[in-house]
Amino acid sequence: MNIANNLAFVVFPYLMLTVFVVGHIYRYVTDSLGWNARSSEFLEKKQLFYGATIFHWGILLTLLGHAGGLLIPQKVFDAVGINGDTHTMIAYYTGWLAGGAAFAGSVLLLIRRVTRRRIKATSLVNDYVTLIGLVIVTGLGFYNVVFGHFYVLDSVAPWIRSIVTFLPKPELMLGVPLSYKVHIVSALALLGFSPFSRLVHIWSAPFTYFPRRWILFRRSVADL
Amino acid sequence: MKIKAQMAMVLNLDKCIGCHTCSIPCKNVWTNRKGAEYMWFNNVETKPGIGYPQKWENQTIHNGGWTLKNGKLRLKAGERLHKFANIFHNPDLPTVEQYYEPWTYDYDKLISSPNKRYQPSIRPKSQITGDPIRIKWGPNWEDDLAGVSETGIHDVNFARLDHAVYLSFKHVFLFYLPRLCEHCLNPACVASCPSGALYKREEDGIVLVDQERCRGWRYCVSGCPYKKVYFNWNTGRSEKCIFCYPRIEAGMPTLCAFSCVGRIRYVGVVLYDADKIHAAASSDPPASLYRAHLDILLDPDDPEVARAANAQGISQNFIDAARKSPVFKLAKTWELALPLHPEFRTLPMVWYIPPLSPIAEHVEPTEQVDAIDRLRIPVAYLANLLTAGDETQIRRVLKRLIALRRYMRSIRVENSLDEDVLQQAGLTPQTAREMYQLLAIAKYEERFVVPTRAVGDGMQTFRDQGACGFS
Repeated sequence: MNIANNLAFVVFPYLMLTVFVVGHIYRYVTDSLGWNARSSEFLEKKQLFYGATIFHWGILLTLLGHAGGLLIPQKVFDAVGINGDTHTMIAYYTGWLAGGAAFAGSVLLLIRRVTRRRIKATSLVNDYVTLIGLVIVTGLGFYNVVFGHFYVLDSVAPWIRSIVTFLPKPELMLGVPLSYKVHIVSALALLGFSPFSRLVHIWSAPFTYFPRRWILFRRSVADL
Repeated sequence: MKIKAQMAMVLNLDKCIGCHTCSIPCKNVWTNRKGAEYMWFNNVETKPGIGYPQKWENQTIHNGGWTLKNGKLRLKAGERLHKFANIFHNPDLPTVEQYYEPWTYDYDKLISSPNKRYQPSIRPKSQITGDPIRIKWGPNWEDDLAGVSETGIHDVNFARLDHAVYLSFKHVFLFYLPRLCEHCLNPACVASCPSGALYKREEDGIVLVDQERCRGWRYCVSGCPYKKVYFNWNTGRSEKCIFCYPRIEAGMPTLCAFSCVGRIRYVGVVLYDADKIHAAASSDPPASLYRAHLDILLDPDDPEVARAANAQGISQNFIDAARKSPVFKLAKTWELALPLHPEFRTLPMVWYIPPLSPIAEHVEPTEQVDAIDRLRIPVAYLANLLTAGDETQIRRVLKRLIALRRYMRSIRVENSLDEDVLQQAGLTPQTAREMYQLLAIAKYEERFVVPTRAVGDGMQTFRDQGACGFS
């Protein structure tokens, strides 16, 4: 049991995080022409509006929630007057909203992908793996919010902090319910897969659009 | 004064016969790939009509180009914050139906069919899904007014005109409008790109999409009011007319211009003052945009301009080419060529000479009615297309073209010199001769004055060979 636990919550996370970092560099260097979202809005627009909008806002808020709730120690929240129970309650309600949106959006996108003729015909295996992965991860996350009711702030949260600070404490995960474990492992697997999928567009969020001037000029050949 | 050089084109609509020869080499060379089947960097539309993609001129639907908001120049579709708020779903993006679903045929079925009672036949098959489809639109769907009795009412160029009259068989008119990327001085596609992948080339102003930096946000597609940036659904990136830059760099005209059997196209360099762009694009009312646009163009024969251009690093062969530029002559010196839809405020650099048309019989000639008002193509329609509704500019151009014809006819057919008609149009016999030479004779070397790229500045032709184009 301990070996499996160590594999799942020490070896596997670091393996996936390594693939995540190295994979992104590799993809960026070797496939600069493929680095985009592979948008299908041009082929189907109406259904995409609901799926993509709901999913994207949902997953962004979910990401913020995970980062804020799990990476910041409970001590910090205690200091500003948010005790563990209040924190959990906030997480519960925002989880319903944001997690629910991410899950619902990804399901809508999957339905669109298999039912719309043009989208189906132009889908790659990679697109299905990505989308089904998202449905599984967000679905399990949403399941945990709705049915889990497990207190994560002294188990999962410190474990994640132990991973990112390179002082892994897998024993924290021993008492965690299975649905949480599967959620974590599948999320890590998706993280490891993401550099090889269309998800790389996350890293190209065009913030440089804000400061730049409107019309760009470039020389065709750089002055060597 | 910040001088830049720009490759530009003039199309003489008076001579376009709508043969689509320009579109074919362009298609075969640049967009004959998966995901690009539906793209026509160059297409020929019949006017009146709503074109390809459908209703591209109607910016209340497409939200392309620029607009003035409280006197300030703004992207019509909204700017930075608006784009971020809609980054997951571009509300203004046209879909494939508005262009057309590309199709092919199983030609093999014709060849391999067993001996049957009836001839084998083949049905169109979608190049996206592979399913049999009904063809519903295309890049020249309204060719020679096909279906325009129904679609024509949506043509925005009928503004202030009674379209019902001009769509009736008795009064119908048509002309062709070959369209390509305008390589604008104030390109809305470049301004719309969140990634900064689109740019104008410093040395010749050709607008390109950097395929390595394009992240497929699709705002260039919706931002371009001419709908001449296309989204490749296979690669997830945008593509557009590249003004055949590999040919231009070698001193050759674009494929569309080169192949034009009517010799209606002119390719040349113009010098312009980049400092004046913003003010010109912000001109109000829209009818003043044409004049402001012309004022940006600099006279390369002006020694002041030539000296400044030299000092700012514009190579001598570009300055020489600008002096012989057919585009400068037609657009600026003679003011015959006009920009397409200047009200989009992008300062387009593909110019059009409006077409003459037969004198319509249905207008009773009176003292008050000018011959130009009796042309079959209504002046107001051309004005909506080329001068943001300013009819005086169209009248001036048409008057010059008619005078030129009348003058040449008096020489060559009637054997009597009619110089009065020239004077009325403000032309001298000398100018008329030159115009005749360039417009009617249209020799290759006069139509195309394309300087080769300055060799030297970091250019490595051997290393770069085969690097142009798309992968």
